[in-house]
Amino acid sequence: MLGSAELCFNVDHGYLEGLVRGCKAGLLTQQDYLNLVQCETLEDLKVHLQTTDYGNFLANQTNPLTVSKIDTEMRRKLCGEFEYFRNHSLEPLSTFFTYMTCGYMIDNVILLVSGALQKKSVRDLLGRCHPLGRFSEMEAVNIADTPSDLFHAVLVETPLAPFFQDCMSENTLDELNIEVLRNKLYKSYLEAFYNFCKDHGDVTAEIMCPILEFEADRRAFIITLNSFGTELSKDAREALYPTCGQLYPEGLRLLAQAEDFEQMKRVVDHYGVYKPLFEAVGDGSGGKSLEDVFYEHEVKMNVLAFTRQFHCGVFYAYTKLREQEMRNIVWIAECISQRHRTKINSYIPIP
Amino acid sequence: MGSLFRSEPMCLAQLFLQSGTAYECLSALGEKGLVQFRDLNQNVSSFQRKFVGEVKRCEELERILAYLVQEIHRADIPLPEGETSPPAPPLKQVLEMQEQLQKLEVELREVTRNKEKLRKNLLELIEYTHMLRVTKTFVRRNVEFEPTYEEFPALDSDSLLDYSSMQRLGAKLGFVSGLIHQGKVEAFERMLWRVCKGYTIMTYAELDESLEDPETGEVIKWHVFLISFWGEQIGHKVKKICDCYHCHIYPYPSTAEERREIQEGLSTRIQDLYTVLHKTEDYLRQVLCKAAESVYSRAVQVKKMKAIYHMLNMCSLDVTNKCLIAEVWCPEADLQGLRRALEDGSRESGATITSFMNTIPTTETPPTLIRTNKFTEGFQNIVDAYGVGSYREVNPALFSIITFPFLFAVMFGDFGHGFVMFLFALLLVMNENHPRLSQSQEILGMFFNGRYILLLMGLFSVYTGLIYNDCFSKSVNLFGSGWNVSAMYSASHAPAERGKMALWNDSVVRRSRVLQLDPSVPGVFQGPYPLGIDPIWNLATNRLTFLNSFKMKMSVILGIIHMTFGVVLGIFNHLHFRKKFNIYLVSVPELLFLLCMFGYLVFMVIYKWLVYSAETSRAAPSILIEFINMFLFPTTATSGLYAGQPSSSSSLVLESLWAQEAALGVHLLSTCSGCCWPSPRCPCPCSSWGSRSSCCGCTTGAAASGSAGGYTLVRKDSEEEVSLMGSQDIEEGSTPLEDGCREVTCEEFNFGEILMTQVIHSIEYCLGCISNTASYLRLWALSLAHAQLSDVLWAMLMRVGLRVDKTYGVLLLLPVMALFAVLTIFILLVMEGLSAFLHAIRLHWVEFQNKFYVGAGTKFVPFSFRRLSWKFSDDRA
Repeated sequence: MLGSAELCFNVDHGYLEGLVRGCKAGLLTQQDYLNLVQCETLEDLKVHLQTTDYGNFLANQTNPLTVSKIDTEMRRKLCGEFEYFRNHSLEPLSTFFTYMTCGYMIDNVILLVSGALQKKSVRDLLGRCHPLGRFSEMEAVNIADTPSDLFHAVLVETPLAPFFQDCMSENTLDELNIEVLRNKLYKSYLEAFYNFCKDHGDVTAEIMCPILEFEADRRAFIITLNSFGTELSKDAREALYPTCGQLYPEGLRLLAQAEDFEQMKRVVDHYGVYKPLFEAVGDGSGGKSLEDVFYEHEVKMNVLAFTRQFHCGVFYAYTKLREQEMRNIVWIAECISQRHRTKINSYIPIP
Repeated sequence: MGSLFRSEPMCLAQLFLQSGTAYECLSALGEKGLVQFRDLNQNVSSFQRKFVGEVKRCEELERILAYLVQEIHRADIPLPEGETSPPAPPLKQVLEMQEQLQKLEVELREVTRNKEKLRKNLLELIEYTHMLRVTKTFVRRNVEFEPTYEEFPALDSDSLLDYSSMQRLGAKLGFVSGLIHQGKVEAFERMLWRVCKGYTIMTYAELDESLEDPETGEVIKWHVFLISFWGEQIGHKVKKICDCYHCHIYPYPSTAEERREIQEGLSTRIQDLYTVLHKTEDYLRQVLCKAAESVYSRAVQVKKMKAIYHMLNMCSLDVTNKCLIAEVWCPEADLQGLRRALEDGSRESGATITSFMNTIPTTETPPTLIRTNKFTEGFQNIVDAYGVGSYREVNPALFSIITFPFLFAVMFGDFGHGFVMFLFALLLVMNENHPRLSQSQEILGMFFNGRYILLLMGLFSVYTGLIYNDCFSKSVNLFGSGWNVSAMYSASHAPAERGKMALWNDSVVRRSRVLQLDPSVPGVFQGPYPLGIDPIWNLATNRLTFLNSFKMKMSVILGIIHMTFGVVLGIFNHLHFRKKFNIYLVSVPELLFLLCMFGYLVFMVIYKWLVYSAETSRAAPSILIEFINMFLFPTTATSGLYAGQPSSSSSLVLESLWAQEAALGVHLLSTCSGCCWPSPRCPCPCSSWGSRSSCCGCTTGAAASGSAGGYTLVRKDSEEEVSLMGSQDIEEGSTPLEDGCREVTCEEFNFGEILMTQVIHSIEYCLGCISNTASYLRLWALSLAHAQLSDVLWAMLMRVGLRVDKTYGVLLLLPVMALFAVLTIFILLVMEGLSAFLHAIRLHWVEFQNKFYVGAGTKFVPFSFRRLSWKFSDDRA
C-alpha cells in the first residue's frame, strides 16, 4: 500500500531531505582516510581537510594547531548545519529535531551538575558542553542541590521536563546518583523518542525504530558492564534499562542477573543480532573493544537509513555519521600529535 | 578566420627548469599566459608535494592580508584597487615582505586589543550611568505606588524608604541591579520566581537607547532591572541566575549621596576614557592608512606567488634533483613566445644555465584552443555550452555567426521589434568600455556578454521583418501594392471578356461581406511586390492561410539546407582526420538519403512555385499527396507535377532506401575496414591494430616493471610512439606529427562494440532526418506565434485607443501608448525573444551539430595571472 509519506513528505521536508543527502555525500571517503593516515603533522591534516567538504574551516586559526581546536571547529560546522536544518523544518520534523537534541542536553546537564559537584568553574564546563545540546537555562543548572530542585527551578520549561517524572526520588546529588539520574533520564528519553517515531508511522518508524532499539540495548549492555563491582543493586540496575529495545522484557531480566562478562555473553547468545557483535570482541589487546563493535554496527544502520526515502531518519543518521567521522578525525589527529602511530588505523570506517 | 574554423594545433612541450630559475620562469610564463601545465604528480596527495611549505607560507600571508583588509574596512578607510598588477615578488623580497606583514599584524593586533579594552570599559561605564539614572526612578516609583505593595509592607516599600528600618527587622535587604538583553527578560523573571519562590521583587524598565554589547559588539536594546531580596542564600542564587542570563551587574548605591558621588565619578572617568580612546583610534587609523597603500599590490603579489607554487607542485624532479621538469601544452604558434619567456625568466634570476624546452610527440589528445575576439566570443560560448570541440574538429561557431541570428530572425520576424533590439544592442556595443557595464552582474551582464549576438539578431530581424512585411504587426506599403482592386469591376473590362470571369458589379459589392480578388483576371495582379510580402495581404481574410503555407515551406527548405550543410561539414572532418573511407561509407550515403527524400521535397516545392501560375493553379497537385504517394508506389496513373514523375520519384525512393540500407551495411564495412581494409593508401588501420596491441603491451610492461614515477612512464610511452611513427612515416612518406594516425588511442579494439555503435548511429540518423525536418517547423510555429501575439496586442490596445473620438482620444492615447510600449518590450521583445533564442539554440545544438560535431574535447586553460581574481571581496568570503 502506498503510504502517505510518499505523497506529502516532499511538500514540507523535501528540500531538507535533499540538502541532507547532499551533506552526506560530503562525508570523507576511504581514500580521504588513507590520505589522512599518512599525514605527518596536524598541519598536513589541515591541508588535506581543505580539499574535502570541510573547506577552509581552520583558516582563521592561528598557529599552533591543536586537536581540540580542530574538534571545536568541526563541531561548530556540524552545529551550523544542524541549526540550518532545524530553522527550516516544519512539524513533525521540528519535533524530531527537538528529540534529537534532547540526548545532548541530558549529557550537558549531567556534565554541569557533576562539574558543579567537583567545584569546577562554569565557564570551563560550558566549553566542554556539546553545542547541539545547548539551551539558555543550562548555565543555571548548578544552583540546584537536588533533582527535584533541578526540575522545578531550571528544567521545567525545557524539552527535558517530561523525562524527569521518574527521577524525583533521590535526595542528594552525589556521584553515583548523578549517574543513576543520567541513565534514568536517558531511559525515559529513549522511550519517548521511540514512541514518537512509532506514532509517526510510515518509513520513519521503519527506519528509526531499529536504530533506537539498538541504542536502547546498547545502553542496557553498557549499564550492565559498568555496574559490575559497584554497589548498585540488581533491582536498581534493572530499573535503569530502557524498555524499548529488542532485549525487553526477557533479555533485560536476564541481564539484570548477570554478574560478569561471561554471563552477559550467555544472555546475548539468545539474540541473533547481538551474538555476532559480541563474538567480534577480541579479548585483551588484540581485537576491538565492545564500544568499537557497537559503533561499527551503528554506522552500518545509519548508512542503511539512506537507502530509503521520505523519512526523518536521514537527519538522525547524518548527524550520527558526521559525529562518527569527527571522532575518527580526532582519533587520527590525536595519534598524529602524540606520535602514536601504531593504533592510527583503528578508526571506524564509514562505508 | 582559419583559427575559428578549427582549433589551433597544439604540441606537448617539456620545460627543463633549473631549480634556481624555475620561479622566475613561471612568473614570466604566468604574465604571458601561454601554456597549460599538466599535473605530473597526480598520485601524490596535496600535502606531500614539494612546495607545500611555500604554499603554506603564502596562505599565512593571505591570512594576514585578509586580517588587514578586514580592519581597514572596519575603519572605513578607502582601499585603493589599482588597475596595475605588479609582478610576482622576487624570492629575495618575499622574506622581507613576510617580516613586514607579520610585524604589522602584531602591532595592529595589539593596538586593536587595547582599543577594544578601552571601548569595553567605556561601554560598561556608560551602561552603569544609564542604570543609575533609570533605577533612581524605580525607587521613587515604589514610594509613589506604595498601595500596590500592601501585601508585603515590610518587604519593599518601607525598606526602600529607609535602609535602617530593615536592619531593625533583623534581616538583610539586598539589591542586585544591572542590565539584561531585551529578549531574555521574561525567562529571567520566571526563573527568578521559580528559584526564589517569590522572595524577590524585580522591577525593570526598558532603556530608551540601544547600546552595544561589550562582548559581541552588537547593538541591541537593553532592560535595566533592580532586584531586591531578603537573605544571603537567596542572594547567592540571584547572582548565579544573573550569571546564567549574562546580565551585566553593577553595584547598587544604597543612599542618594552615594549615588550622586558615583555618578559624578563616572562622568569624569567617561570623559577621560573618551580622550584616550580617541587618541588610540587616531593612531590606529594612521597605521591602517599606511597599510592600505600597499595592501592591494601585496595581495596581488601573494596571489601570483601562490599560483606559481601551485604550478611548480605539478612539476616532477629529474634524476639529479637539479632541475624541475614540467610538461605543458602549448599552441604551436606560441612556441617562440614560450622560448622567449623562458629566456627572460632565466636572465632575470641571473642563472648561468638557462632553462630550455623541447617538444615531444604524444599520443594523447591535446586540449582545444580557439582564439576568440569580443565579437566571436559570444558565438563560441553558445557552442561551448553544448560541448567543447574535439581537438582540430570543425568548429560550428564560425557558421553560427550567421546562421544563429538568421534562424532567430526567422522566428522573430518583425521590422519594428528587430530595430528596437538592434538599437539596444548598439547602445551596449557603443558603451562597451564603460566600467559599470563590463562589470555588471546577473541579467544585465548576460545581455552585455551577448551584445554582438543581440546586434546581429536585431539586424537579421529587421531583414526578415521586411520580408514578412511586419512592423509592430502592421504592414508597410513602401513600393505600392501589386494588386489592383479596380480591375475587378466589370466596368473596366471589354464586354467580350466579361462572360468568362467572375467580375464584380455594384450589387455584388453591396451584398457580399467578403470579396475575392482573382489574379487570373488581367490587370488585377500586376506582378510581385519588390521586397517581401505584398502589404495588401494585411487586409485579406485568408492572410493566415497564405502566410502559413509560405512559412511552412520556407522553414522546411531552410532546415534541409542547414542539415545538408552540417553533413557536408562532416566531410571536412573526415578529410582532416584522414578517414577517407568514412566519406564514402558514411557521409555520401547520409547525403544521398537526405537529399533523395527531403531534397526532393524541396525540389518539388520550388518547382511548383516556378511552374504553376495563377491561371494553371487549379490544376496544381498537392505536394503532400505527391510526397506520400512517392512512398506508396502507386500503380494507377495520377497527374503528377511533371511528365514522367511517378517513375522518377519512385526510383528516387528506391535510391534513398538503398542509400539507407547502404548506409547501414556500409557502416558495417567501415568498421571492418578498421581492421582489414586492404588498401595501399591506408596502412594505418591494419598496422595500427597490430602496433596498438604491442604498444599497449609495452606500456603495461613498463608499468609492471615498477620503474619509478609517472614521468618516466610518459616519456617511455612517447619514445615508443616516436619509433612507431617513424616506421609509419617510411611506409607512408607523409609529414610527421601532423597526421591522423596520431589520433589512434591505446584503446582496446572491440569489433562488436564498434559494430553496435555504427548500427545504432545509422538507424538514429535515418530516424533523425525525419524528426529533425519536422523539428525545423518550429521556425514557422514561432514566427506565427510572434506575429499573432503582436497582432493581438495591437488590436487590444492601440485600436481601442485610436477609436475614441478626437477630444478624449488625445488624453487616452498617452497611457495607451505607454502601456503598449511596456508590453511590447516585456512580452514581445524579452519573452518572445528569449523563446526564439532558445529554439534557435536548440536547432543549432541538436539538428545542426549532431550531423558532424562530436564536442568531446577539453578546453585549453592556460596558466595565466589574468585569470586570478583581484577582488578583495573574495578574501573576506
